[in-house]
Amino acid sequence: MAGYTQALRARGEDALVALLRLRPDLAVPPPATLRSMAARATTRVSLDRALAGVDALVLQSVEAVLTLSGTAGRERPHVTAGEVAHTVGLAPEDASRPLRDACDLGLLWTDPDVDDDALLPAPGLDEALGPYAAGLGPSLRATLARRSTQGLARIAVAVGLPDDEPAPEDVAAALARPEQVHALVEQAPPGARQVLDALTWGPPVGRSPESRTADPAASSSPARTAVEWLLRAGLLAVQDSQHVVLPREVALALRDGRTHRAPALAPAGATPSTPQATADADATQHAQEVVRLVGTLVTAWGTEPAPVLRAGGLGTRELRRVAQRLEVPDDVAALVVEVAGAAGLVADDGEEQPAFAPTLEGEDWLTRELGDRWETLARAWLGAERAAWLVGSRDDRGSPRPALDPEARRPWAPRLRRSVLEVLAGTDATLAEVTAPPASHVRAVLAWRAPRSAPPEHAVEAVLAEAATLGVTGAGALGSAGRALLADAAPGPSAVLTGLLPAPVDDVLLQGDLTGIVPGRPSTALASLLEEACDVESRGAALTVRFTPSSVRRALDAGRTAEELLAELSRHARGGVPQPLEYLVLDVARRHGRLRAGMASAYLRSDDPALLAGLAEDPALRHLGLLLLAPTVLVAQATPAALVAVLRDRGHAPVTEDPSGRVVVAGPTRHVVRGTRRRATQAPEDLPPAAEARDRRLRRLAGDLLAASAPTPSDEVAPPGPAAPGAADAAGTADPVLALAILREAAAEGQEVWLEIADPRGGTVRRRVRPLRVDAGRVRAVDAEREAELTVAVHRITSVSPT
Amino acid sequence: MTDPAAGPSGPLIVQSDKTLLLEVDHPAADACRRAIAPFAELERAPEHVHTYRLTPLGLWNARAAGHDAEQVVAVLLEHSRYPVPHALLVDVAETMARYGRLQLVSHPVHGLVLHALDRAVLEEVLRSKKTAGLVGQRLDDDDVVVHPSERGHLKQVLLKLGWPVEDLAGYVDGEAHAIALDEQGWAMRPYQQQAVEGFWHGGSGVVVLPCGAGKTIVGAGAMARSGTTTLILVTNTVSARQWRDELLRRTTLTEDEIGEYSGARKEIRPVTIATYQVLTTRRKGVYTHLELLDARDWGLILYDEVHLLPAPIFRMTADLQARRRLGLTATLVREDGREDEVFSLIGPKRFDAPWKDIEAQGYIAPADCVEVRLTLSDSDRLAYATAEPEDKYRLAASAPDKNRVVERIVAQHPEDQVLVIGQYLDQLELLADHLDAPLITGATTVRERERLFAAFRTGELRRLVVSKVANFSVDLPEAAVAIQVSGSFGSRQEEAQRLGRIMRPKADGRTAHFYAVVSRDTVDQEFAAHRQRFLAEQGYAYRIVDAEDVLAG
Repeated sequence: MAGYTQALRARGEDALVALLRLRPDLAVPPPATLRSMAARATTRVSLDRALAGVDALVLQSVEAVLTLSGTAGRERPHVTAGEVAHTVGLAPEDASRPLRDACDLGLLWTDPDVDDDALLPAPGLDEALGPYAAGLGPSLRATLARRSTQGLARIAVAVGLPDDEPAPEDVAAALARPEQVHALVEQAPPGARQVLDALTWGPPVGRSPESRTADPAASSSPARTAVEWLLRAGLLAVQDSQHVVLPREVALALRDGRTHRAPALAPAGATPSTPQATADADATQHAQEVVRLVGTLVTAWGTEPAPVLRAGGLGTRELRRVAQRLEVPDDVAALVVEVAGAAGLVADDGEEQPAFAPTLEGEDWLTRELGDRWETLARAWLGAERAAWLVGSRDDRGSPRPALDPEARRPWAPRLRRSVLEVLAGTDATLAEVTAPPASHVRAVLAWRAPRSAPPEHAVEAVLAEAATLGVTGAGALGSAGRALLADAAPGPSAVLTGLLPAPVDDVLLQGDLTGIVPGRPSTALASLLEEACDVESRGAALTVRFTPSSVRRALDAGRTAEELLAELSRHARGGVPQPLEYLVLDVARRHGRLRAGMASAYLRSDDPALLAGLAEDPALRHLGLLLLAPTVLVAQATPAALVAVLRDRGHAPVTEDPSGRVVVAGPTRHVVRGTRRRATQAPEDLPPAAEARDRRLRRLAGDLLAASAPTPSDEVAPPGPAAPGAADAAGTADPVLALAILREAAAEGQEVWLEIADPRGGTVRRRVRPLRVDAGRVRAVDAEREAELTVAVHRITSVSPT
Repeated sequence: MTDPAAGPSGPLIVQSDKTLLLEVDHPAADACRRAIAPFAELERAPEHVHTYRLTPLGLWNARAAGHDAEQVVAVLLEHSRYPVPHALLVDVAETMARYGRLQLVSHPVHGLVLHALDRAVLEEVLRSKKTAGLVGQRLDDDDVVVHPSERGHLKQVLLKLGWPVEDLAGYVDGEAHAIALDEQGWAMRPYQQQAVEGFWHGGSGVVVLPCGAGKTIVGAGAMARSGTTTLILVTNTVSARQWRDELLRRTTLTEDEIGEYSGARKEIRPVTIATYQVLTTRRKGVYTHLELLDARDWGLILYDEVHLLPAPIFRMTADLQARRRLGLTATLVREDGREDEVFSLIGPKRFDAPWKDIEAQGYIAPADCVEVRLTLSDSDRLAYATAEPEDKYRLAASAPDKNRVVERIVAQHPEDQVLVIGQYLDQLELLADHLDAPLITGATTVRERERLFAAFRTGELRRLVVSKVANFSVDLPEAAVAIQVSGSFGSRQEEAQRLGRIMRPKADGRTAHFYAVVSRDTVDQEFAAHRQRFLAEQGYAYRIVDAEDVLAG
């Protein structure tokens, strides 16, 4: 630990800043000293995070260093780059990149006291990489230490050492020599070779044959004989009552000194590619389509907001309605809704009956240029912590996941999207051809880039499908606009997309069969005219529409007159308006408005037209909003109750009637209000801090750390060896992370520490103990003075200091 | 991928929903039409932009005719104005790759055998419930015996399963019989020649030509090409006689060689003309005249007006897959949507010409279509509004005010041969009375019909009122005006066939006039709109005029 801390200091400020940038969890909250930062860096959680981001080759190198550094027979624990290259199977020059990356991340470190080419694994790595890193078992030293003296002596003799109480280390060193292993294997009884072969490349643990059956007949089976022989020879070790394990050095010898069969190289192989022009054309088409779909959604919800589920989100039935309205499959509808939500174009209106409705921003978005609108959507999608493809699937409780669910935040989603698109962006793309890899290849690349956090293939497929729907990709490859979106540089995605759009067409070809065709992308004015006055039959590079009586009526309902509509059409029509269409418009207009509907709250009817005429003219009743519809019918804007009351005041004798015409006696009505729950609206997304601000902050922190810990003597003094109690006090730490790190280290090395424990009465006691195990929130330790073993809950430990 | 020379200016727009829009005024439109014709179905052909559609059937037919996916893709890319949607190209390639994984071949020992080039496909189709009973013993991994009688049915089922089979088993030659065209004073028109060639090259199939464009000649040409005994199936006896006369005039066949097999006569000769009706007559649940199909070793079977093919004939046709089949029609639209069955049993469309193209070549008369909208009188409107739904069409279609309109239109064409066509007999009788014209209905005897038609042809008669019996296959070359007062609901092909009655080119090149008298704001108007769709899509734009204007003018 101390060496690691020292190594951190030796990195210097720039490298420290780089480390903090690569592993942001080390900087938040800012550690007080380098020592506590080192402790944090070697915790399981932090190491896991660091390992999650490394590629397969770095992982292999780290595994190689970790497994080699502990093997018996080495003069020192340090591992050289050459060794790593050999054991992984790389050319020496190829090994330098992964090793440098691992060092930058603080996964490996070089001992500044030894020399530059002496790599050591970060403390805690063995735990983070699991018990059988690289498929290798525990070291011989550990397995031999558990043997009886006689057993050890027997092995010692076998490897040519004197049998008078040999030290396990010496035996291990002798046994670990490859030629010794091979010599022993030569002498082994038949069957031993197969047992070893099965375990060589991992997993190194196998079931012992005797555990399978208690049958004495089987006790002399060749397999059992072989395993027993191997156990005696030290080539296998007993793991537990049922399993045997192959020690690391033996496996390495059997592997010819390799830790890995083959180096993990980036997946290569020809991926299909497509011309950039094709990708762009396809992506542009989809981009236009998604903008249209979101626009339709925003407009539709503007007139008819969609109700919010009581638990939040948009229900399955509403989603299906959206899908029908947009004429798209459900999954596309879910994506459209989610993207609109992520872009803030629609939101829960927070009314008593909550509903999703367009926001002001959404209304504004509708009026903007196409490229702009697309960029808004694409950016929202790229950064959205949501997974639209999960909408409709069942959650753990078996209920379908709603769209726009405020609870469903998926912080990994933006990372996944970006990493998938970065694979597409690739490196070997030329200007004319872009790669269009299938999902399986993308997933293979991702699995290589970060084997410890590779996404499942279905997620990759879903992201690719979403990207295609949004027009970020086209024909399976990244479009130019998508590339601009990813690169985040000028020219922006909006400008790129606008440049790719075909020129708008302002004419429509109207035909005698009441269809019309816009041979290209309609201009905004034309599109809105056609959207209003006809039904769209086919979309794509061109627009095919059909005029029907109901579509023309829709236009008239929207306030156009037949003359205006025909004038507008003939202005856009390249070949004139055909007679049947003109006739259709006029014919529909003729019938339009033949029935009139209006609003009234109450009516008055009477057989006496004179009486009603008098009421309609009465100035004192003007506030009732009376209107004579027919000689015997009046309607009023006032409610029936108010109407009746006022008429009674004027000396009339009205009665009320129900819909079937029967007279009813009106009683007082009671109003009951049902309490409604208000829903909290979703918190706004926090934006990532600007890169420079972050760098400045990290640099200040690194400077502080180096300055603050320089005078602390405990770092300078290596922990092994006695220290003055005063110094121990100074090093005593209350930082729980550091405390645990010290305890783990002490447990691993068999050192004693001073432990301050809060006792049940609220005081503290100080004990000198040798920690045995640190796990599950407990520390088991031996108090040597009192010859007692004690178990302490971690939260009771107030401070730990090395002895 | 797009050719920059043709790219932004090509005549074709490829939509992602697999429709192809062809701008006809474009200079390269003709070349493009020829290029896409083998694989795309012409769906609509109005004045400016023709719509084609890519269907699996069309793509498979193209494969059968020897085109491959690369050619199709290349054609689309060459003529397209905008980039072609990538997904569509992928789909075209995938669809076309499905054709021919299975083959029907003649095995020297086992007879008809289904042979698989792709074993997984064979496994898939054999596991389908639909093929149960159609195939017999499994010979080996790739071959399975097919019952010869199920050849047509199996092909149909495999088509539905999406694995169209390539039929390599060939056709029986049939009994040879020398037939030649007697081209004296006339010659086959170029498109007729193309149709015969297209059919013969493909083996079996359907030829779609507008009414009046000489489908009989195509039939005669196919017979001459085949040189075998021929069975001709037609819709009715009048049509059978017309076929016989036409064959006598156009070919070297003599009266003795042509037999008529109808309700009246049962002759079986080297060329036999039978009606659908007699073939589908059942006695005690048995089709008694089916032996006709096996009476001779027919080398060619001709289906006239194939769009009318009744269901029993479909089933019988399924058994005739080893013989060459030619279907002839003007309007391959069926309101029951069974066009696909026609294609799978008779054969794919081998030739199709837009009506307007033939008109432009001068082989059919130009036609002026007018819809006359009649406002019902108030009493009629009230009667209509309160009528039961099932009576509404009848009431609206046979509105008494239509008579005056018809009279007026007839008066406007004093010099022309005028046909008045309708659905309802009482309405027609009334009209015949008004116009003082003879009436032909289903009740009129064949002899009387032939006499009246002959008189009409010679110009002796100028006005004729007919019911739906004159919808098809009645050849009236000089009829120049047709007035339709009612029809069988929204039947598109009836409307087209009725227009077809007046489309024979006139001696003096006059325009034909087609009037549909329609009651405004009723179901009559809705049905009329539906009926007109086929013609409108063929480029016959209906002019709509108000009845008041007709009466005033």
